[in-house]
Amino acid sequence: MTSTDYETAERLGRKRARILPVFAIFFLMQQASYFSGPNVDTGRPVDHIRIAAWLVMSIVLLVVLANGGYWFRSREVRALMNDEATQAHRTDAFRFGFFAAMIACVGLYVLGWFEPLGGRDVIHVVMSCGIGAALVRFGMLERRAYRDA
Amino acid sequence: MPEGLANRLREHRAERELTQAALAEMVGVSRKTINTVENGVFVPSTTLALKLARALGCSVEALFSLEQD
Repeated sequence: MTSTDYETAERLGRKRARILPVFAIFFLMQQASYFSGPNVDTGRPVDHIRIAAWLVMSIVLLVVLANGGYWFRSREVRALMNDEATQAHRTDAFRFGFFAAMIACVGLYVLGWFEPLGGRDVIHVVMSCGIGAALVRFGMLERRAYRDA
Repeated sequence: MPEGLANRLREHRAERELTQAALAEMVGVSRKTINTVENGVFVPSTTLALKLARALGCSVEALFSLEQD
C-alpha cells in the first residue's frame, strides 16, 4: 500500500462518515411520501416506480452497509476503509439495525390489533427502520472515530 | 474504554515521535483505527496488537495491560 492509498482512504472514510447519516435522513423521508401518497394498488405506473425506487435504494444502502461501498476504488483503499475498527462499527450498526427492526415489528404487531396492515406496508416499515437505524449508527460511530484523528 | 484494560499506545507512539498516520502506515490500518485504539474506544485484535508492538519495538504487555496488574 502506498501513502496515497492511506490518504485516499482517510479522505473517503471521512466523507462516508459524513454522507451516510444524510442518506439515512433522505431514506427515512422517502417513507413519509410513501405513506402519505396513494396506495400502490391503484396500479398507476408512477406508484410502481416510486416503490421500485425505494426498493433499489434499500438494496444499495444495505450493500453499502455490508461492504463499505466505493466499489470502483482499488482493493488496497477499500481494505483500509474496511479495517478492524470499521468492521467493529459495522457489526455494532447491524446489531442496532436489527434491534430497531424488531422494535418496529412489535409496534406493527400491536397496531395490527386495531387496524388491518398490508404485507407490503409492513415490510416497508421494518426494512426502513432496520436500514435507517443501522446507517445512522454506523455514521455516528465512524464520525466519533475520526474525531481528534 | 472496556472495563479493566489499560493502554499506553499514545505514550509509546509519542516517545518514538511517530504520528498516528505514520504508525497506521507501519501496521497497515487506517489512522482512524489508531485513534480509536488510543482513545480506548476500540480494543484491537491480537494480530493488530502484535503488529503495533512490533512497530513500536516493545511487547504487547507494554502497550496493553489489565488495570489490576
